[in-house]
Amino acid sequence: MVQQAPGVRIDGLTVVYKTPAGELPAVRGIDLTLEPGSITGIVGESGSGKSTLALSLLNAVQPPGRIAAGRVEIDGLGDVVGLAGEQLRKARGRHIGYVFQAAQNSLNPLKTVGKQLLDLGRSHGVEDLRGLVREAKDLLGRMGLDGARVLDSHQHELSGGMRQRVGIMLALVLNAHLVVLDEPTTALDMITQANILKIVREVHAERGLTTLVITHDIGVVAEVADRLAVMYGGRLVEQGPTREVLGAPRHPYTKGLIRAIPRLVGDIDEAQALPGRPPTLATVPKEGCVFRERCALRMDVCDTVDPQAVADGPRTVACHAVTVTVKEHA
Amino acid sequence: MTLIARRLAGHLARGVVMILVVATITFFIVNNIPGDPMAARYEKLIEGGMAPQAASQAVKVLYGFQPDGTLWQQYTEYLGGLFRLDLGVSVSRPGTPVLDVLTEAAKWTVLPVLLGTLLSFLVGIILGVFAAIKRTGKLGDALAISGSLLHGIPQYVLAMLLVVIFATLIPILPAEGTVDILYEPGFNAGYIGSMAEHAVLPVVTYALSAYGGWILAMKSSVVTVLGDDFILASELRGMKRSIVFRYITRNAILPLFTLLALSLGLLLGGAVFIEKIFNYPGLGWLLIGSVQDRDYALMSGAFLLITVATILANIVADLFYTVIDPRVRSGEEAS
Repeated sequence: MVQQAPGVRIDGLTVVYKTPAGELPAVRGIDLTLEPGSITGIVGESGSGKSTLALSLLNAVQPPGRIAAGRVEIDGLGDVVGLAGEQLRKARGRHIGYVFQAAQNSLNPLKTVGKQLLDLGRSHGVEDLRGLVREAKDLLGRMGLDGARVLDSHQHELSGGMRQRVGIMLALVLNAHLVVLDEPTTALDMITQANILKIVREVHAERGLTTLVITHDIGVVAEVADRLAVMYGGRLVEQGPTREVLGAPRHPYTKGLIRAIPRLVGDIDEAQALPGRPPTLATVPKEGCVFRERCALRMDVCDTVDPQAVADGPRTVACHAVTVTVKEHA
Repeated sequence: MTLIARRLAGHLARGVVMILVVATITFFIVNNIPGDPMAARYEKLIEGGMAPQAASQAVKVLYGFQPDGTLWQQYTEYLGGLFRLDLGVSVSRPGTPVLDVLTEAAKWTVLPVLLGTLLSFLVGIILGVFAAIKRTGKLGDALAISGSLLHGIPQYVLAMLLVVIFATLIPILPAEGTVDILYEPGFNAGYIGSMAEHAVLPVVTYALSAYGGWILAMKSSVVTVLGDDFILASELRGMKRSIVFRYITRNAILPLFTLLALSLGLLLGGAVFIEKIFNYPGLGWLLIGSVQDRDYALMSGAFLLITVATILANIVADLFYTVIDPRVRSGEEAS
């Protein structure tokens, strides 16, 4: 068993969903590496495939979806795409902690948090249940909650921010070192949001985790992530160190996203919405660049050839227009 | 516990008001039905050669009162009687209090209905879970179709079908009655065995006719819960299948308890067809008889009993939720 932060290598991952129009890819040909001990942020609009990607890390894509191709190699576990049954169940929770969106009700409404914690412990063959409870109280305490009280509460007695911390506790209490947070701050107020992000950063550092944060909020990524990956239409269009990508975005979609953020100072009109709307499963182009319909730099080649991710130092970008300039500079 | 006591007190108060309202309505409706059974008997006695004075006295002795008060007096007397559990005297069985007739009939209704309903509830919810989990497969289809089919067949058709099959084509069960007259009434094997034998077809009819509703309701409830976030969350936390299964079933069964309580309350009076077909002297059978005999006292007594049963069933269901659903519990604390 790995006790230190595991690395994750996602290789050529494609996830398809069965629809009346046949199997359509929600995530296509993703290559992404999570370095041990890093916090990676994945940004994208609704429907860009980011949650599907997150679920793939646990081999938990829900029907009618399925992983059609690719590997998800996790240190200490191997390729999770090949895991099934008990092996897969034990990996979930033990090795990989998954934190749900705050707005979702991730707890059984009929049982107290404490009883569900015990269910979790029994599911994973934890013998020292007292120790587990102590660990849980400890984690909750570090997140600023009264552990004993929270364990004695039902879901409906907890606020959104408290539920989210309970979710983080349940993801970590079995000592998982790979943690996936799916929209951890959506539907929380700004102060709670800042609090949760601070907790994520602290816990990440204290426990030596590898963390993946999925969000549609670039601000969240800027706050916590070392590396940033931008998804659009099921494709990874750009990735690199957070500062570099935010400071000097290369892909026209990333540029558009950043331009769309309103600033605290200055005119609200400076923020410019990206024209057009993101593609759905059915409208994602089958060939060529997925972003071309909304792209200002569209060229003929974009209609027919899917741009490949081209590496440039720690950064990669998948765009015909950008690749040309990068090559010209080289 | 004080919380439950407070809830119970509120329910009982509301229940008493509801019962009074229903009793009032029944009283005035029955009072307005044409025909006067006492006058009819009085005239019969006169025709038999009795003197008017004596006939009037005889009627008074038979029914325990003389119907010569004003409507208001009769009404207050009736309500006063209710508080003393006095429902009056049966018209068609002079001299027998309505309450006695009802309790005698109730024992033939309550046990079979309870048995049939609980049986169908149990089988229905268990199969409903499978129907939901296997809903994309053949087993799920088969279960759902069995539910729709049985749900669609009217009770009396089902009852007659069972009689034809098990009493006529393959005569292994008695078609009607409650017990063979061969046996000495009392606590002996022959009598009880015969009673059980006679109860089989009515109980099976109750069970089969209710089963469809249960399996369909449970299936849809389970499907709803399966789509809830916390089920996926539990799976992603690596919870054991057996534990997740428990989470699903417990959450899915909650809304069905209301239906169970309601159907238990309603079945007491709703067993009319089945009891008629099986010639089973329960409350439904009694109700039909009382209508045919113009036994107004018995009629209003039976209506009242059904009302009380339904109200009680509702109260029980509501209190039950207070015990099993933590959200209901704290919702009350907050208010």
